Amino acid sequence: MNKELKRTLIVLAGMCILFVSLVVYISYFQVFKAEAIKNNSYNKRLWINEEKILRGSIIDRNGKILAYSEKSGDTYKRFYNYGNLYSHIIGYSYREYGKVGLELEYNNTLLNINEATPFHELKNIVIPNTEGNTLKLTIDHHLQEYSRNLLKGKKGAIVAMDPKTAEIYSMVSLPDFNLSNLKEEWNAIVEDENSPFLNRATSGLYAPGSTFKVLTAMGILEDPELNKQYECKGSTTIDGYTLEDYGGKAHGNVNLEEALVKSCNSYFADKGVLVGKNKLGEIADNFMINKKIPFDLPTAKSTFPYKESLGKTDIGAASIGQGKVLVTPLNMALIASSIANKGEVLQPILVKEAISPGGKVIKTNHTKKISEGVDIFAANEVKNMMVEVVRRGTGTNAGIKNIRVAGKTGTAENPSGKSHAWFIGFAPADDPQIAVAVVLEEDGTTGGKTAAPIARNIMIEALNTIK
Amino acid sequence: MYNIFSLIFKYIFIVIIYLFILSIIRLIYLDIRGIDTTSLDHSIYLKLINRKDTLPFKIQEYYTLKDITNLGRANNNEIIIKDPYVSKNHLKLVKDEGNYYLEDLNSANGTYVNGDRIMDVVKLKNGDRIRVGQVEFLYVNRE
Amino acid sequence: MFKKRINYKVPRNLLVLFELLALFLIFIYDKDNFDKYTFGSGIALIFMIYISSFILLRISTGDNYIFLIATMLISIGIIMIYRIDPALGMKQVIWIGMGIFLFFISYFIVKKIKGWKDWTLLYGGVSIALFVITLLFGTRTKGSLNWINIGRFRFQPTEIIKILLIFLIASYYTNYEKYKEKRFGSYYLIGIVYLFIGFLFVQKDLGTVLIFYSIFLALQFIYEEDRKLILYNVLFFLVSGVAGYFMFSHVRVRFETWINPWKYIDNKGYQITQSLFAIATGGFFGTGIGLGHPDFIPEVHTDFIFSAICEEMGIFTGIGVIMLFLILVYRGFKIAINQDDKFFKIVALGISILFGIQSFIILGGVLKMIPLTGITIPFVSYGGSSMLSSFIALGILQVASEDLDLGEEKYEQGT
Repeated sequence: MNKELKRTLIVLAGMCILFVSLVVYISYFQVFKAEAIKNNSYNKRLWINEEKILRGSIIDRNGKILAYSEKSGDTYKRFYNYGNLYSHIIGYSYREYGKVGLELEYNNTLLNINEATPFHELKNIVIPNTEGNTLKLTIDHHLQEYSRNLLKGKKGAIVAMDPKTAEIYSMVSLPDFNLSNLKEEWNAIVEDENSPFLNRATSGLYAPGSTFKVLTAMGILEDPELNKQYECKGSTTIDGYTLEDYGGKAHGNVNLEEALVKSCNSYFADKGVLVGKNKLGEIADNFMINKKIPFDLPTAKSTFPYKESLGKTDIGAASIGQGKVLVTPLNMALIASSIANKGEVLQPILVKEAISPGGKVIKTNHTKKISEGVDIFAANEVKNMMVEVVRRGTGTNAGIKNIRVAGKTGTAENPSGKSHAWFIGFAPADDPQIAVAVVLEEDGTTGGKTAAPIARNIMIEALNTIK
Repeated sequence: MYNIFSLIFKYIFIVIIYLFILSIIRLIYLDIRGIDTTSLDHSIYLKLINRKDTLPFKIQEYYTLKDITNLGRANNNEIIIKDPYVSKNHLKLVKDEGNYYLEDLNSANGTYVNGDRIMDVVKLKNGDRIRVGQVEFLYVNRE
Repeated sequence: MFKKRINYKVPRNLLVLFELLALFLIFIYDKDNFDKYTFGSGIALIFMIYISSFILLRISTGDNYIFLIATMLISIGIIMIYRIDPALGMKQVIWIGMGIFLFFISYFIVKKIKGWKDWTLLYGGVSIALFVITLLFGTRTKGSLNWINIGRFRFQPTEIIKILLIFLIASYYTNYEKYKEKRFGSYYLIGIVYLFIGFLFVQKDLGTVLIFYSIFLALQFIYEEDRKLILYNVLFFLVSGVAGYFMFSHVRVRFETWINPWKYIDNKGYQITQSLFAIATGGFFGTGIGLGHPDFIPEVHTDFIFSAICEEMGIFTGIGVIMLFLILVYRGFKIAINQDDKFFKIVALGISILFGIQSFIILGGVLKMIPLTGITIPFVSYGGSSMLSSFIALGILQVASEDLDLGEEKYEQGT
């Protein structure tokens, strides 16, 4: 083959590569990128199609209308009935600012848009789609309002749910923002250093503090070799680092129940190291830490990086919910629910059903198990200990007359500010109807003092009003 | 109404465009498969006159000749041409004293040399055009 | 099934079928404006394309495919242009008619006249004259100074210069031995090509700069014996590219909007993001002709016609267009390899690279695979100058596909 022909073929090969790369790129674009780009709020096509459709309403579990659309001129206008109350649940759908929350996640359901299959395209032409579906939430409007009022003026989150079905009754994250006058406040919200856009309930990551001890307790219970007795001296030193009990108070000779009731740091740190990071990690995994919780809204992943090389100090700190452990309030509510629910972890539900304009239920989110959690015996033992926590321990402020309440307080040290106050619990202990997780961000108080009363009020209100 | 047509047509269009591309690629493929790999140092050969890429079957630009060369559609021939107008055993080229003689083997559509259908054995000379079916060859003898 | 007889008639009939269906679809799409005149021109166009490929088969012993491929591209383009704007569609029909006419004219002229390989100076002189005229009398559109108005008629001189450039390079390398003996002979070509590129840069026509440079580099790579010149060429281009980035804001803008157009979605990134929306919305099968919104993209009928095709006819049609260009380029190279005449061999290569690189630059641009530079897709985009020059180039390629003088000699020898 002569030189000239060879070079010609090289150039030809180059041209072929250019064209093949075009084909590869366009396919890659279509498969991986197109979906996100198509749904970009700047894509005018979306609005053209959407504005011809009456967007479905959003109602609470009792049928109360929370958001609806109405015709104004040629297009439809969206109305949000309760300003700030649902900013993190419903979110918003505005042409200028795009969509978030359920308005985004359930956009296609609300607009009754089906996937672009030839069948649906044809059907859409024969019977044009003019009205979207209604979303029925598991939220109880009264409890939602009540929960938000309890948290008013503070930063933090509340998640209250039915432990048996995993339906969310109320979910509050503060600070929030007003859905109705987003336009006027947009810049202020964007610039606010407290990030009102963050849904703290699902995406806020906090050190769980002592509430994490319920998981450590399971690890200790499931280790038959381990001596459950311990002499608490008010602090313990692991590898040169000293972990103190709250106020440096020595609890004396304690067993597991006493240690949990008094929230003894030394006990759990030392025993946690003996249980080992792998066992603790396995339990954490079973309770959806390090996993994505499947939910109707985007969730952040709680973390406990036990697979990394952790020193004994790190394991000790993790055992009392400090150090490298970070959880979302939703995850903690799920843990309280699982303990109430024989140790099984259920998928949390926010949208109960989608109802067609004709009133037909077209989609139902059923309760389903997503993880094993812990066996029923360990769950029951921890539950009984948590009852004692509320009856005579750190959580007495969560106690309700004539009802056995199970709970655990937490005061999480926060390296970047004041401590977070936590409470997780459920009631009644023998037939759980309501599970709650409360976190007060950078409140500087103890969970028993501030978070526990909030949780108690929610539990009372839920038990009295929700049937 | 228009929308339904438009929806159906978009699939039809894609099918037609790809059929179009496929048919051209197939023609090009036939073209490449027929590229001569043998070098042409013989002085006596048949050269294809047709543009190779207009013929819908495999064919070479050049055929060198042995002492006896058979041409036809069947696979036992030295020169195989899958043209439906070519008979299974169409013709025979025989060398005798440096010259080639062409003999038609009672083919259905006949063999033409310089436009005339041959009835008998014909002695070929340089530059003769031999037509069988849709194919036309130039007989080249440089000796 | 593969035993079935397939020949050049199959693609030709598919093409006619495609065009008839498209005409029918346009008929129901645009019932109100669809009069006898429109219908007549549609039928006339189909007839003209069919007859032309039929005539071509009779008069040319050369390649049968390049004309078919080009007319398929034209058919896809005209459907889209008519759908975007019926008035432009009608104009485009006229341009196509003139283009096919010019195809045959240039075919005959180039074939009959001998001596093309000796007029190096003429090509260079005419090109420079055209550049100077553009600079003096040109009008500026979309930031590029590349149009000349003659009465009501406007045209882009660079479209003609593209072909002159190919002829210039071809004649230079055909007479390579002659130039090499002169002092600095090997620098003549590189000098004049960079002069052209300099003119284009002043006109701010970056897309054409890329085309010129690619053609030059590829042909230089194949034919230049002084290999270090190629290295100089690449280095010089890289250096001037970087310098251009820092010195000229319009180069910088192209680059920035390529890296992240979403940041500038309201202003300079608007076009490219609208194009991406269109392509993404279309999906693999498209929305169907007339059911999408390609009109949201600025310049959709020229530079962004590919985005409109992807939106309404689907990514699969888009890939089809890319493959049509690929086989057109492949045929062009095949023609060049089989051609014995050195001048026409280089011309065939140059034209194939022109078609290939021009379509690659704009297709890659609207897909955001490479920075966007506004040029037309040969045969597909709306545009008179572009359509005519593409057809002239195709006509020359058709000449190059034939056995030129050598073939005739053999025939004489034979009979």
